[in-house]
Amino acid sequence: MRFLGALYMGLAALVLSLPIVVVCGAALNSGRSMFFPPREPTMRRFGEFFVSEPVWTTALWNSVLVAVGAATLAVLLAWPIAYWLWSTGTRLSKVLAGLGSLPFAVPPIVFGVGLGFFWAFAGGLGALWAGVISHAILLMALPLVTISIGLQSIDRAHLDAAATMGATERMIFRTVVLPQTLPYTISGFFFVLVLSFNEFTVIFFVSASSYATVTLQIFNSLRNGYTPTMAVAAITFLAVSVLVFSAVARWGDLPRLMGADQSRK
Amino acid sequence: MSLTDDMHAQGRSAAAAPDGSAMLRRVGLFVLSAIIFIFCVLPFGLVLAISFGRKIDGAGWVWDFTLENYQRFFVGVLWPDEVTFLYLQQLGYSFYFAIIASLVAVLTALPFTLLLTRLGRSAQALWLVFIMASLSLSEVFIVMGWDILLSNNSGLPKLFKETGLTQWLKDTGYFQTLRDWGLANPRNVKFKTSDFATILTMSYLVWPYAVILLYPALSRIDPALAEAARTMGAGRWTVTRTVTLPAIRLPLFGTTLLLFVFLLGTYVTVTVFAAPNKHTTAVAIYTNIRGANLNAPFGAAQAVMLLVAAGVCLYLGHLFNRRSEAR
Repeated sequence: MRFLGALYMGLAALVLSLPIVVVCGAALNSGRSMFFPPREPTMRRFGEFFVSEPVWTTALWNSVLVAVGAATLAVLLAWPIAYWLWSTGTRLSKVLAGLGSLPFAVPPIVFGVGLGFFWAFAGGLGALWAGVISHAILLMALPLVTISIGLQSIDRAHLDAAATMGATERMIFRTVVLPQTLPYTISGFFFVLVLSFNEFTVIFFVSASSYATVTLQIFNSLRNGYTPTMAVAAITFLAVSVLVFSAVARWGDLPRLMGADQSRK
Repeated sequence: MSLTDDMHAQGRSAAAAPDGSAMLRRVGLFVLSAIIFIFCVLPFGLVLAISFGRKIDGAGWVWDFTLENYQRFFVGVLWPDEVTFLYLQQLGYSFYFAIIASLVAVLTALPFTLLLTRLGRSAQALWLVFIMASLSLSEVFIVMGWDILLSNNSGLPKLFKETGLTQWLKDTGYFQTLRDWGLANPRNVKFKTSDFATILTMSYLVWPYAVILLYPALSRIDPALAEAARTMGAGRWTVTRTVTLPAIRLPLFGTTLLLFVFLLGTYVTVTVFAAPNKHTTAVAIYTNIRGANLNAPFGAAQAVMLLVAAGVCLYLGHLFNRRSEAR
């Protein structure tokens, strides 16, 4: 039975990694088309993706800008809402937190269409900053959740102790609340970073074809057939994701963030 | 709550300009509420408003209050002279793909997640990194990977041919069955375009989500319950059926529902893997708003219908949950 379990998990890992392995292998092709296994393996595609082909370097730069900007903005928006919800728990704060998570909860295509209309009126359609804001709003739900988990993990006794010793709210915030929630804030930041990097639907509608991120560029290239350079993009993205989540697992508490029971080790 | 209220009171009294800081707080809250309303609510309002608009040939669209778009969605433009259920059929295919794919994902993720929660803490973290990485992988990458795997010139069909599996299938007569299912052309097996490839890729897309959503519920099951049942002589299967499954029935149902709603909007997978006559509402929304048709009001109406359909499903799920909890 134990053996069967291990077999099942192994099988799941195999199927899960199958398309990823294929994409990674295809990146090594020296020719213009994708083959698996690769023919005449070369690393030249990596140079094309990161350095020499402007289409891809621009797309990569756009992706990085949007992801970093969106992650920063999302955390800045989520912090006051999460803090307010935690410290007062008023009805309005609950409504705000709910509405803030709404875009993430509906099928992304509907929110994408809505934002497309919205930016057309607000004058940001096709501008990179509008893309940044759009992703920040879409993914705000993630730091909202991680920061809330972090705030709930603060021992109320610490707050009591600080308050009885005469600390002001601002001091308590700086010396107790902020340090204890920092890992959760960073986790939230990275979740947004990675998901924004990989997001397609919403950015498709708000970019209005006037700029391309890597995912958009790949989608555009879908019609012209695959090139091995696209596969390099996939590898890069996967490497970033693995690095980020490893960091979260190493310095944050990934099982807890995912909602595992804390009492059992 | 009283503690934090105290904290606030103290914070205010200790601050240099108490009224100023309270004022600042109020302004901050107002700005925050305004931001949330403008960016999280207004876009949906716009979709709803524009769905009542009217398309003008060659000039985009204008505001209006017409039900034409909805009429077209349900019975076609030429109603009552002619009735077409094309758009309802597209919504039907959205449901068809999403239901099967979410069920497949949850049913295969369930045993995996159960096994995962029984591992040690650090092994769990390792697996979670792997799961999260594949979860965040963009739909375009996943479609690209499966496309290479399922294309006729590379991947599985080629593998079938070179290993002689195709010949074996032909000899044993299973090949005809595959052809009947649309999974083979006269020469070899083919997976593009097919329902099989669409559903496979869609369930692959949400499989990591299924694990992540089931994980909290499964990791909270008390192992003592199962152990107690075991010591009382229940078999492994009996324990699973009478103890474990009932304990996770609600999260199981909830997860399926969430994945289903998420999959309703799948676009890239359907355009690449589904046969053109089985394209979904999501594809129609894209073509109307960004593609060839340029009929924003009708696209908006379809988006509203997709949202309504998703909402109805979530509401029914909520009712079902409440009823089974009350029982």
